[in-house]
Amino acid sequence: MKTPAFMIVCLMALLSPTPMTGEYLVPDDHIVRLPVPNDPTICFRIWFKVGSQDDPKGKEGLAGITTSMLTDASTEKNSYEQIIDKLFPLAASYSATSSVEMTVVYGRTHKDNLKEYYPLFMDAILAPAFKQEDLDRIKSQTLNLLENTLRYASDEDLGKAVLYNDVFAGTPYGHITSGAIEAVRSITLDDVKGFYTSHFTRNNLVIGIGGGFDGETLGMLRKDLGKLPEAKLAEALKSVPKKLDGFNVTIVDKDAPATAISMGFPINLLRGTKDWYALAIANSWMGEHRNQSSHLYQVIREERGLNYGDYSYIEHYPNGGRLTKPPQNVSRRQQLFEIWIRPVPNETRHFALRAALREFKKLVDNGMTEGDFALTRNFLRNYVLHYAPTTMERLAYALDDQFYGVQGSHLEIFRKMMGEMTQTDVNAAIKKYWQYGNMQIAIITKDAASFRDALVKDAPSPITYKTPKPESVLKEDKEIEVFPVKVKPEQVRVVPVTELFLK
Amino acid sequence: MKQLLTLLFLITLGSSAMASTLFPYKYQKDVLPNGLTVIMIPMESPGLVAYYSVVRTGSRDEVEPGKSGFAHFFEHMMFRGTKKYPAAVYDSLITGIGASANAYTTDDYTAYHLNFAKEDLERVVELESDRFQNLSYEKQAFQTEAGAVYGEYRKSITSPYALLNEKMQDLAYDVHTYKHTTIGFEADIKAMPEAYDYSKSFFHRFYRPDNVVILIAGDIDMKSTMGLITKYYGGWEKGYVPPAIVPEPPQKAERTGEVTYPGKTLPIIDIGYKGDAFDPDNRDYVAAMLLADLAFGETSDLYKKLYIKEQKVEFINGSAAMNRDAPLFEVAAMVKKAEDVPYVRDEAYKTIAEYQKTTVDPQRLNDLKKRNKYSFLMNLDTPDKVAGGMARFVALTGGIDIVDRLYAQFETITPADLMKAAQKYFVPERRTVVVLKGAQ
Repeated sequence: MKTPAFMIVCLMALLSPTPMTGEYLVPDDHIVRLPVPNDPTICFRIWFKVGSQDDPKGKEGLAGITTSMLTDASTEKNSYEQIIDKLFPLAASYSATSSVEMTVVYGRTHKDNLKEYYPLFMDAILAPAFKQEDLDRIKSQTLNLLENTLRYASDEDLGKAVLYNDVFAGTPYGHITSGAIEAVRSITLDDVKGFYTSHFTRNNLVIGIGGGFDGETLGMLRKDLGKLPEAKLAEALKSVPKKLDGFNVTIVDKDAPATAISMGFPINLLRGTKDWYALAIANSWMGEHRNQSSHLYQVIREERGLNYGDYSYIEHYPNGGRLTKPPQNVSRRQQLFEIWIRPVPNETRHFALRAALREFKKLVDNGMTEGDFALTRNFLRNYVLHYAPTTMERLAYALDDQFYGVQGSHLEIFRKMMGEMTQTDVNAAIKKYWQYGNMQIAIITKDAASFRDALVKDAPSPITYKTPKPESVLKEDKEIEVFPVKVKPEQVRVVPVTELFLK
Repeated sequence: MKQLLTLLFLITLGSSAMASTLFPYKYQKDVLPNGLTVIMIPMESPGLVAYYSVVRTGSRDEVEPGKSGFAHFFEHMMFRGTKKYPAAVYDSLITGIGASANAYTTDDYTAYHLNFAKEDLERVVELESDRFQNLSYEKQAFQTEAGAVYGEYRKSITSPYALLNEKMQDLAYDVHTYKHTTIGFEADIKAMPEAYDYSKSFFHRFYRPDNVVILIAGDIDMKSTMGLITKYYGGWEKGYVPPAIVPEPPQKAERTGEVTYPGKTLPIIDIGYKGDAFDPDNRDYVAAMLLADLAFGETSDLYKKLYIKEQKVEFINGSAAMNRDAPLFEVAAMVKKAEDVPYVRDEAYKTIAEYQKTTVDPQRLNDLKKRNKYSFLMNLDTPDKVAGGMARFVALTGGIDIVDRLYAQFETITPADLMKAAQKYFVPERRTVVVLKGAQ
């Protein structure tokens, strides 16, 4: 485990088979290696540069469904049942994630099972059967998610989906990865086959391999994945969202027991740059995910007990309700700054919205204090150690490094930058990338019309508590209750939940 | 890590001479004079340590009427500070060292966990020992935290599974505290702000060294770590008062119920059978753990039939839970069409009947045993996963040696044992069936 990484890489290069005439090998610069020589397991992550941004118009959801047709379905050699039976005693499996720009087929096996595992894994990518019954099953699951689960089972996930769809409306990012109901219904086997042939190609992939692999295994992978067709594809246009002007609000009307709020605006900043790490400090202080150190959490939950948590983000963070550390391989060229207010009692929705916006405005206007800056920088320097404890996670980060063109390891740079960053750097980044007045807001609540009216009137939102609160909190509440959030009537849209994700 | 690697090799070689001990790390267990149990598991990790404080109290211990959900609420209160380290100071110290810290509550236990750099071990031991011994909060803070707990309930209750579980537990149990879920009944959550005095009693009865196990895994030196534990926890006074949990009498007849989800969902059927408490020496219980997977897991005939071939369900699964008292062994399925619910239910019953009269293919049973062992070991590759993976075993039994006993017992289970378990547990008189349907 102590072997320097560069020596391993050199060794791998020597062991890699020499290309034979007419044989295509995935080129070396499309391989990410993370060797752990004593590890008896091998991790595979095959990254295809495709995602929901590549869904054809009217076929939203096709990238995700095509990916599932590789990993959750039959291959030419084995039915889906046979695949399950064969993987079972190997104690191995494979799966995939598909986001807006990245699709990754991944799996992990013990070395001793490699001989049996490898052909199954490769068949999934190289020889999917594309059977109608598999497509029916996968479409049914996607439709259940869109029609039922997302609309009804988790209002906070719904809020985030609405926010992203609104911000990126009209761009390739303008629909969630699961697509839309009518589009998913219309997807045929021919659509899937066509999408697979054009996007899952040998010149559109990167091999990620980690753990105790050897040169022979990597050589096989390069050769086998080289059998995929080659296709010239124009890279999807970068999704450039429309410019926000003031507060744009979508209120989803449903019989919600509480109100979920997500809001944000696009930021032109990606990891790997100094400014990103500077803004990461400000964001961590403002709203570190699932952490008591989050300032929003302190103000809304700890002091006032309005909800379960309040966080902010400078990178896309899907599945936030289930994850405690950032997800990997959801990289994207266009990011949002995002605030997430977990469900608050309906009668406090206006107050909670104001409280969050007021805290954010204070940070934008005043910057971080020296004390908060120093504390948060120290926090992050160690906290990022917990981001990728396993080989599979580190390999996923290495792929993200390649996506963003990070020179070296993002996580190592992150720690290093925490030692170099100054309060001035952070406050300059806040001024450069954050602003207060222009924001897209998604609200899931009941009696949407009355909230719309209150927003348009910028009506005061006094709060009363069932239990006593300190004088300092009550005093601050008086300011929050009338904190101006001016919304123009034409910038509020009320949508019944049943009308979401239709097309 | 080295022990883990060696064992992973052994398993896949299919060694019948497999050591009777499966847990791959050497560990040390000590009990302080005050009853505090300490388990240290040194393992190779890049300077990281996982620190779990497992309180052997969960929603199972909420015996008083109107106090459902209190163990979970109390977990929240444990972040409200002490006189020495008030909440804001505790937060800033944990933040300052970049620890990843959180907690969770289950039916049988409550766990507080931190991951941090090894040089911060003493700081963590000091802070954790302080709040476990000297927790101190004002009524106002207590009442405000009740709001956060209600918020947690509100964010979760939109899930149909939350509603279904609530109904299933309530219907299946008459007197045992498994009657309520861990988050508790909404009426009890609403009333939490009034329970300040009760919360003090909760702390004094349950947060005692003789009811707590400290699990430390990672880059640690056992001698110096034990020195720190003794220094900081040694003065904690014992005094655990076990709750008077009323045993659930044997169920005599099948129970059925329905629940309506206010939103839109596909129907879900949940079939629960009263099982037995976790006990590796109970061969029927251990056989049931394997049976649930073979009969209803993804390699089962029923899964292939209903999910893959006929596509009647969005999912189907089975489980035999590990609990201090008798839990429900459950089979659950989300059914695509409401009219197919009886069909899916009857197919599950037919499967059970088949397992009651026919022995399973020994090869399938062996494959499952191998897979279970391997999956268990594969998941022990970081300090957090080791300590976290052991938390429930620690909560149920007070130690982790039980893991080896469980996996050794798995090895002895035969197809005939599975048949016996099917005949014992999966019978109508132990059964409760709940069907959830959407209102829209």
